Amino acid sequence: MKKIYWILALVALAFIGDRLGGLILKKAAEASQFRYSRLYNGSASAEILLVGNSRGLIFYQPYIEEITGKNTFNTSYNGMPIDLSRVFVDDYLQKYPKVEKMILDITMCDRINDQLIAGFNFYTPYSKRLSKLIEEKQETMYYGAQFSHLFRYNGEIFLRSLKYTVGGDDEDWLTDRVMNDYITQNVVKEAPYSLNYKNRNDKADTDSLYILDQLALLVANAKSKEIEVHLVINPYYPPFADKIINLDSMKMDVEKLTGLKVKDYSKAVTDPKAYSDYQHLNKYGSRLYLDLLKKDGIL
Amino acid sequence: MIFNSLPFFIFIAVFLPLYFALKGKARLLLCLAGSYFFYGWWDYRFLSLIVISTLIDYLVGLKLDNTDDFDQRKKLLLTSMVINLGFLAFFKYFNFFIESFTSMAESMGVTPSWNTLHIILPVGISFYTFQSMSYTIDVYFRKIDVEKDFLRFATFISFFPQLVAGPIVRAIDFLPQFKKDRQFEWDRLIAGSGQMLWGFFKKVAIADSLAPFVDQCFAAPGGFSSLHLTIGVIFYSFQIYCDFSGYSDIAIGLARVMGFDFPDNFKTPYFSKNFSEFWTRWHISLSSWLRDYLYIPLGGNRGGGFGSIFFTCLFLLLSIVMTGWWWLLILYAVVAFAMNNWMKKDNKNKTTVFNYMNLSITMLLGGLWHGASWAFVVWGFLHGLYLVVQRLAGPYWNSLLDRLKIPNMLQNGIAIFIVYVCTCFAWIYFRAPDFDIANQVIAGIGSLEGFSFGTVVNKFIVMKGFILIFMLVGVEILDFKFKFYKVAIQSPAFRIVSFACLLWLISFFGSFGANSFIYFQF
Repeated sequence: MKKIYWILALVALAFIGDRLGGLILKKAAEASQFRYSRLYNGSASAEILLVGNSRGLIFYQPYIEEITGKNTFNTSYNGMPIDLSRVFVDDYLQKYPKVEKMILDITMCDRINDQLIAGFNFYTPYSKRLSKLIEEKQETMYYGAQFSHLFRYNGEIFLRSLKYTVGGDDEDWLTDRVMNDYITQNVVKEAPYSLNYKNRNDKADTDSLYILDQLALLVANAKSKEIEVHLVINPYYPPFADKIINLDSMKMDVEKLTGLKVKDYSKAVTDPKAYSDYQHLNKYGSRLYLDLLKKDGIL
Repeated sequence: MIFNSLPFFIFIAVFLPLYFALKGKARLLLCLAGSYFFYGWWDYRFLSLIVISTLIDYLVGLKLDNTDDFDQRKKLLLTSMVINLGFLAFFKYFNFFIESFTSMAESMGVTPSWNTLHIILPVGISFYTFQSMSYTIDVYFRKIDVEKDFLRFATFISFFPQLVAGPIVRAIDFLPQFKKDRQFEWDRLIAGSGQMLWGFFKKVAIADSLAPFVDQCFAAPGGFSSLHLTIGVIFYSFQIYCDFSGYSDIAIGLARVMGFDFPDNFKTPYFSKNFSEFWTRWHISLSSWLRDYLYIPLGGNRGGGFGSIFFTCLFLLLSIVMTGWWWLLILYAVVAFAMNNWMKKDNKNKTTVFNYMNLSITMLLGGLWHGASWAFVVWGFLHGLYLVVQRLAGPYWNSLLDRLKIPNMLQNGIAIFIVYVCTCFAWIYFRAPDFDIANQVIAGIGSLEGFSFGTVVNKFIVMKGFILIFMLVGVEILDFKFKFYKVAIQSPAFRIVSFACLLWLISFFGSFGANSFIYFQF
């Protein structure tokens, strides 16, 4: 009989600790200055909405705000897939109606990333769209998070949010890192690079069809709210951009599907010192690029 | 089937109640069927290899028992070894040998047309082959009685908790345990579950959390800073430790729940103060196997003979072939000549040289056991070298420390640090997909270019990794210094709290992608 009590005590303690821990972490996430926490806690109002993956993080917000005098909100995240981005954009537009402009880097349409989606599990209490997406894409993780509340906070994304609970704002993700000589010189040795995207005409490529449909829905929703939508291709290190074999076909498909012109800045920044790697500008490079966007009237 | 997957939990939930409900032969039969099912879940075709190894060693054992004729006994032992090692050689080393001989022929100006084969490596083949061979060798030397019950013997070979990644349990320790019908014991359930939970924490929370960072470092090291790569190597040292010792903990814990006692496979190896100690704490079941069935038969520290010379010549020849540096032949000849003269002066010198040869051979073959790659041979070579250097320089080092009047605690700290750094250096070759990448990692770390935290990519993974490593090291220090766990586990309150803590930690930090264990590939 004693043994049954022992098991019951263990189950009770594990359950109570899980719920209590979950509650504490929930409060920490809500108090965070992390962009998605701000999105859902009501403190993310902005006129310019920025959308992308890690390459979208080069929209250096302090500088945009300096040159435009407008508030910005960036939904970008490393490896962000378009379906998850669509959830955040739709949630954002529903919650914050004063958005005037949306700038989206279309190279984020190069991947499905269901693994990342599950990392946002801890925001499901605030978004039905997010809950639905995670349930669809990562069923086990979704139900795991219902079973264990601590599990909801399992992942790098929550740790990031915790950083912004402790202090600091979330508008400066860019580094000053510059590519070293090894990387700069080795670009010639790189094999031709293919974005993980084929062609809309390839009906067998269901991933690309899905991605483009998600993009079309995202853009259509923004346009329906009379938001000025700009689709761009953010810069790559030009010798690397030359290696990408399917950027043009992606661009054409996106233009056909959305009815919007895509502005191609893929080779617009040529200085090697402007890059932290082949695909990402550094802080200095971002300023050069944003000046170009301002000059072209996109910002 | 892997431990950190849903099918395993379903399997064990069905298996354990049945196991305790049955007795005698029926229980053994269930164990055997369960073990074959567990293994066959991965690829049922390779069950035939286990069955053949089992049959051969069972029959050889019976025959050995029936004859006292020395020659016949020797032939029987040889038959078993040829078949067991033959399977291992074919499935694990065939392509490696073909490639090596092709390379050797090419370096002599001949281009052979030998082709490699598409061979799938059967999971756990190195583990169960060694386990099976140890039985035959022990029967041959009459260290154990022959096992006449086939069911019992087959279950010993294929016992699922330790079938695919050890520990390698010797017949002398394991077979007698089958002779007693095990009752369900509450204390065993608690102790075994605790060890399993700790193993799961090490595997799914620590090893699998460190893995992505390590993979990135070893995929393209050229793009990362010195500090980033250093962290990558530190993380790998803990990844492989937690992955493998985590598996061992789960295996030993599960066996304990089922009523079996397995010896420890790891005992806080990174707290070792010298390399001999390291090998009594790391993968103990393999290192003791190699010691008893290879190092000592070669002559150990008492000298050597044909075996020592044969293996040494073989490895020296292979080193020339693989590097293509034929001038090494002259160097080896000069060294051998000098050694020979030195050995002639005193018999003690001869013993010393053979001892070093035996150590090096054991470590080289230990390296090769891990996989068919020269990287593993280099890893084994480095550990052999560490052991030899330690024996040569150890007395001078100790007297230097004494002369400098360094306090004992600091001496220990320095020794632990040196052993850890050297071990990490060897891990680079173990982990890198090829020598080029390994050399890039070493050059990147050595350049000290960008040795600041700002240059580290994925800081959150790094932060999480270090939090987990500190937790592990903290618990291991408590256990190492104060035998914390053994004392604390006696208290029911502590047990409940510690189990709950592990569940919370696994839930919060765990990676649930059912990632395979590193040692499955060996």
